[in-house]
Amino acid sequence: MAINVAPADVQLVVGAPMGYWRTVAWRLRRDPTTIGAGLVLLAIVLSAVLAPVLAPHDPTAGSIRLRLAPIGAPDHPLGTDEQGRDMLSRLLYGGRMTLLAGLTPVLVAFVLGTVMGIAAGYAGGFPNTLIMRTMDIFYAFPSVLLAIAISGSLGPGLWNTLISLSVVFVPRVVRVAESATVQVKSLEFVAAARASGSGVWPIMRHHLLPNVLGPVLVFSSTQVSLSIILAAGLSFLGLGVTPPAAEWGLMLNTLRGSIYVNAWVPALPGVAIFLTSMAFNLLSDGLRDAMEVRV
Amino acid sequence: MRRFPTVIAIFLSLMVVAGSASAQGTLRIGMTASDVPYTGGQTDNGFEGFRFVGYQVYEPLIAWDLTRGDRLPPLVPGLAESWAVSKDQPTKWVFKLRRDVKFHDGSPFNADAVVFSFESIKKKDAPHFDAYGSGQVSFRLASLKAIRKIDDYTVEFETDKPTSFVPYQVVYMVVVSPTQWQKFKDWRKFAEQPSGTGPFKVTRLVPRERLELEANKSYWDPKRRPKVDKLTLFPMPELTTRLAALRSGQVDWIEVPPPDAIPQLKAAGFQIALNSYPHNWTHTLRLDKEPWNNKLVRKAANYAIDRVGICKNLLNDTCIPSTGIAYKGHPWFGDPKETYTYDPAKAKALLKQAGFGDGKHPAKAAHLISTSGSGQMLPLAMNELIQKNLRDVGLDVDLQPVEWNTLLTRWRAGFKTPDNEGLNAWNISWNFLEPWSGFGRFFHSKSVVPVAVNTMPYINPEADKLIEEAERTFDLKKQDAVLAKLHEIIVDDAPWIFVAHDLNPRALSPKVKGFVQPQSWFVDLTSVSVTR
Amino acid sequence: MWAFVARRFLLAVPTLLGASVIVFAMVHLAPGDPIAAVMPADASRAEIEAVKRAYGFDAPLPVQYVRWLGRVAQGDLGRSIATRRPVIDDVRDALENSLVLAVASSVLSFGLGFALGLVAAFRQGKAVDKLASAIAIVGVSVPHYWAGIILIIVFSVQLNWLPAMGAAIDGGVVDYLRHMALPTVALALIPLGVITRVVRSAALDILAQDFVLALRAKGLVSRTVFAHVVKNAAPQILTVVGLQFGFQLGGSVLVEAVFSWPGTGYLLNLAIFQRDIPVLQGVILVLATFFVLLNLAVDVVQSVVDPRIVRH
Repeated sequence: MAINVAPADVQLVVGAPMGYWRTVAWRLRRDPTTIGAGLVLLAIVLSAVLAPVLAPHDPTAGSIRLRLAPIGAPDHPLGTDEQGRDMLSRLLYGGRMTLLAGLTPVLVAFVLGTVMGIAAGYAGGFPNTLIMRTMDIFYAFPSVLLAIAISGSLGPGLWNTLISLSVVFVPRVVRVAESATVQVKSLEFVAAARASGSGVWPIMRHHLLPNVLGPVLVFSSTQVSLSIILAAGLSFLGLGVTPPAAEWGLMLNTLRGSIYVNAWVPALPGVAIFLTSMAFNLLSDGLRDAMEVRV
Repeated sequence: MRRFPTVIAIFLSLMVVAGSASAQGTLRIGMTASDVPYTGGQTDNGFEGFRFVGYQVYEPLIAWDLTRGDRLPPLVPGLAESWAVSKDQPTKWVFKLRRDVKFHDGSPFNADAVVFSFESIKKKDAPHFDAYGSGQVSFRLASLKAIRKIDDYTVEFETDKPTSFVPYQVVYMVVVSPTQWQKFKDWRKFAEQPSGTGPFKVTRLVPRERLELEANKSYWDPKRRPKVDKLTLFPMPELTTRLAALRSGQVDWIEVPPPDAIPQLKAAGFQIALNSYPHNWTHTLRLDKEPWNNKLVRKAANYAIDRVGICKNLLNDTCIPSTGIAYKGHPWFGDPKETYTYDPAKAKALLKQAGFGDGKHPAKAAHLISTSGSGQMLPLAMNELIQKNLRDVGLDVDLQPVEWNTLLTRWRAGFKTPDNEGLNAWNISWNFLEPWSGFGRFFHSKSVVPVAVNTMPYINPEADKLIEEAERTFDLKKQDAVLAKLHEIIVDDAPWIFVAHDLNPRALSPKVKGFVQPQSWFVDLTSVSVTR
Repeated sequence: MWAFVARRFLLAVPTLLGASVIVFAMVHLAPGDPIAAVMPADASRAEIEAVKRAYGFDAPLPVQYVRWLGRVAQGDLGRSIATRRPVIDDVRDALENSLVLAVASSVLSFGLGFALGLVAAFRQGKAVDKLASAIAIVGVSVPHYWAGIILIIVFSVQLNWLPAMGAAIDGGVVDYLRHMALPTVALALIPLGVITRVVRSAALDILAQDFVLALRAKGLVSRTVFAHVVKNAAPQILTVVGLQFGFQLGGSVLVEAVFSWPGTGYLLNLAIFQRDIPVLQGVILVLATFFVLLNLAVDVVQSVVDPRIVRH
């Protein structure tokens, strides 16, 4: 959703694999915005991974008597939530949930989508039609709607969230992968390889995969931001992670009633989502520019 | 120049529109229900439905006197002028009906209407049987078996056994206009153009959005003709939405304001109405399955709850802790042995005694809760705290939120349906307005679903005996003493997790005058006026 | 071109059918018995079975699907379990409200996005470009439901300028607009970001074409260049515009939840917590159909604007 994919726009830079990747790295090194975004992202991910070490309090422990303490309160630098739990700790632990719920579906989509897309692109004919038309059916639903509909049917919970978001993103990756595969397939050296009797697997590994992986990688990175926003959004609606787990979207929901008491503590989880999402977007932009993929 | 009339017309229409927005004497109320309560008579959405629709558009034969806030409301004549149990046949009650009362459609109120209304609830094969309405209210009329018209202004109810509870059940049946129903022969269509005898009549129903009513200027009791011209009801299940609507002047009155916002509201000049009323907020436990089938575990849960924390800190003193069905000072409270203070250590000890404390045998349960609703207070926040309290002593409760009316529907079907099979409790607030609602419908062995709503099911011959004794006792003071004894037994048995008694907080705009908050779930809107 | 249009049209049919299968299946995935919600407490086994038969719930799922589809084709989306009103009525009312929001939000985001994107492209590298790009990336990254809450905090709670909830209940046009203001802005943020980036990117590509560079070097009137850019960027942008409108219509659930705006998202949310299956099915199907038709329209318009489009 961040950037839409019109398959015809996917262009490839095909060249000797080694030189290409080195060029990409060289470009990335000279791009301060992307490096900055990468560092921020690293910090966010590390803070989530190291939450048990960094968090000053237990994220589910709290005293109801200390609820809604403001930012800068003693012992609670970012305040407390509506149940009296420490915000800093909940933000750190919440990051784990949100990142997990946001990244996993994209990862799943990356793997499944690439496989299905290459298969469809390479096979052509009926299998292609079957797979692509099936994907089209899922495209009939706006992403948010599909996620909510599936989650609404399956019920709340982390697993159901992962399933529903994966269903949203797989068709998109399939489209990109298939389109890229079709383009590569038509190139002469591939035809030559086939003519010379190369098996399917070697062709896939040496020619298709490296050239398809680029656009798919870039595309997937652009979807992470949306996935995080959607995962948090599902929890916000009560369809994702359930209380008392800490998760940024869920925290936004439960703190919503408190904006009349203390306006800024309820805004914190949203700031976290925003920063993470922005960092991923900047990073994926940088990646796209460096890899010269128009996706 | 030719455009002048158009300009005038637009100007005038804008003025009309602007004017109607602040029409004098219009009371606009934001309810916690997520949809307009059923207007076909026997309403839904629990007591909020009765409060704003059932008892405003319609009336029962016997009514509550809601005009004072300093005492529990007594029963007074409604559409019946008098009633008495027949001396020689104690299962028959004769009601003398009020004369010269007309329905909103102009047709006269008489015995036929009463019979019609009763049959719409109880007579399944009648063409005018209202399956939906019957589902809402039939269990409240559990003892009423049959009705007979004696003459145009006299009816006779027949009960299955002699019981003093009859008036307490009749109070929940409102009377609908048979003439109006016959025009449509369909309850859904009737609900769009309903006709009752109440002080307000429905003028427009916009599903999911609003219900518009106007004062019934020819209401039979001149002392209770509404002071406002119009009444508009808005479903607003979202807490912050209600608050925002009140603050921005879109409504004049909201139910259950966010307790956190109460100091601000007071500072801004809004009126906060509070009063005790026969309400308790509980988790009603399933007694035939683990873990709640063990009395020690139930007691442990009751000792694990930080009630003061909930009422003082979470809810800003808009409730008082509850350690039983009634509150201390109520004639039914009695002197129970268990005091259910906040004592996690004792809770853990009780659990250990019950065999759950060693970590090898976890106590798990799934509880159905609502997202808002009549009497439910702040269910999500309260339940999160309760869940934490219980986890801290070793009881693992999983919360499943559904919409309020959905919760009520599933509750009435009982635990043993496929939908509800995996549940261990309902979080529903109960009323104890009278002995049937407080005890009879829950704790008698004959009240098991589907006859009434003993879903737990609670089977205790001691309780059966006391309830039957109370039913046979027509002297109120003696009845109170019997019920107090019953209360002690139940509190010590702990079939529920007792949490809080709500103080019924409402927030009103300074323009609303004349409202008296009774010690009741219901309100009298006829004395209310809204100044400019 | 007409062959292309006809083909796309024909393709829409199986897509819609497939979507309907998914809608039907999805909702029946849900745990729980839809009948239990309808029956009164003292219904006997026999009565329940009779009602099941009346609703057709006793038939095997494929048969139920075909029957349901038949009714849908005639415009009968069934009755809401919670309100017993026809679903089509509720959906229609809600759709009107969502459309108002989606159109207003689209006008705002597309207009502003287009302008920002073009400005950024024509002034590439300058401060204006950086500002526009920054706005765009913020728009794309912000969780719109959070933005809604922030808008409420600032404009409603602190400044008390604008109302925080719902569609206007009483009052005229001005009041309605005041109620619409905050949700519209919240909903427009992400599309604004997307459109700005796509327009900028497309415009830059065209501006980089050799003959355009030549034209600009010669100092020729920028209006010609401008028109050329717009015309050639149009097809690409059009697809995105279509998708973003779909996002604003179908994806307004989160914004509607924050502002209690009585649209399809609000209805969907309520139906989920009420387990009101007919309403769930009705809303999702209507929105999906809308979306498919929208995409179809976009494709057709695109092929008219740029006949060179070749789709495989």
